[in-house]
Amino acid sequence: MPDVEKNTVDTAAIATMLQSKDAEMKRILNYCVRCGICAESCFLYMAHKGDPQYMPSYKVINSLGILYKKKGNVDKSFFEGIKGLVWRNCVLCHRCYCPIGIDIPRMIDFTRSICRSQGVYPDHDGGESWL
Amino acid sequence: MIIAERKPLDEIKEMVKDYRKVLNVGCGGCTSICLAGGQKEVMILNRDLKEQLLGEGYSPVLDGFVIERQCNYDFFDELDNMVGGYDAVLSMACGVGVQFMAERYPETPVFPALNTVFCGADRNIGWFEENCRTCGECVLAETGGICPVTRCAKGLFNGPCGGTRLDGTCEVDKDTPCAWYEIYHRLQAQGRLGNILTVKPPRQWQNQTRRSLVQEDYKQRYAG
Ligand code: SF4
Ligand code: SF4
Ligand code: SF4
Ligand code: SF4
Repeated sequence: MPDVEKNTVDTAAIATMLQSKDAEMKRILNYCVRCGICAESCFLYMAHKGDPQYMPSYKVINSLGILYKKKGNVDKSFFEGIKGLVWRNCVLCHRCYCPIGIDIPRMIDFTRSICRSQGVYPDHDGGESWL
Repeated sequence: MIIAERKPLDEIKEMVKDYRKVLNVGCGGCTSICLAGGQKEVMILNRDLKEQLLGEGYSPVLDGFVIERQCNYDFFDELDNMVGGYDAVLSMACGVGVQFMAERYPETPVFPALNTVFCGADRNIGWFEENCRTCGECVLAETGGICPVTRCAKGLFNGPCGGTRLDGTCEVDKDTPCAWYEIYHRLQAQGRLGNILTVKPPRQWQNQTRRSLVQEDYKQRYAG
């Protein structure tokens, strides 16, 4: 966790974090067959009338998936961009169901941790709206 | 949500001053939202604590980390790989999280950086109000949605006590509304005064011993 807020990111540190769970995370990212069955088990997806941005698999593929694809070579704006996806769009309730056993909240939790390591996290005393 | 506030710096300092390497762990849940123990608060506490300890001749190594929730072991695995490298852990979660942390790492001293204050609602940013003492036998159905356990100074189930002032405040504090005065007026407006006209029998105070709960559908899963 950085001691001070910076506008840059430490790509080497991101790559190290990604590598620490490389086998597990890449495997599950590859296992996802985009079947969409997880969608209806997520109450947020249902509450947002099927907005794909709330689909469990979408949230992971478009955050952690990109981080792995780019091997951590992203900038601060990337983390700012996925912040809503991994915080507002998921409450880590562990209620989503994937028939092949992909643990979506575990991946979102890990993505949040990478965001936090680069100083990106929700600002609860600012003007951000989380729902 | 659980509402907490940070302990005074001196109290925290006394807990950790004799440990050289300390990991301060924030919680991404309630205490982030109530602005007591999230990532920003971890940074601020570490900065202040370090300054204080250095000023007193200690040479602490104080690191920070945040997990999304300290009350659920699903979120601990990154921490599992870190805690062994520290002499003590400071937790910025509520008392539930601190205890979970202490149970998870029984060989490491775990200290609370916060005081857990109540179960409350958000009135506004940084402004919280206690509304429930988790008594385990909710009576809000009869009291017009106003909790007498939390909001009556004496926690009366058959009120008011006779100490209500003419302006509707409680004799204990002139700035505190009398809960039973409010209950009466709300029920009267809804034509439901009958709800409080019978005397309630004494209740069993279930919160005297530690409680646990397994929802009906899960009883079989955890049996035996
Ligand atoms: S953990 Fe996240 S993705 Fe899964 S059901 Fe809950 S909110 Fe939806
Ligand atoms: S550990 Fe306490 S503060 Fe953190 S999410 Fe759980 S209940 Fe809330
Ligand atoms: S009566 Fe009051 S303390 Fe008891 S459960 Fe209801 S709101 Fe909570
Ligand atoms: S005056 Fe009202 S709130 Fe105060 S103790 Fe009596 S009944 Fe309770």
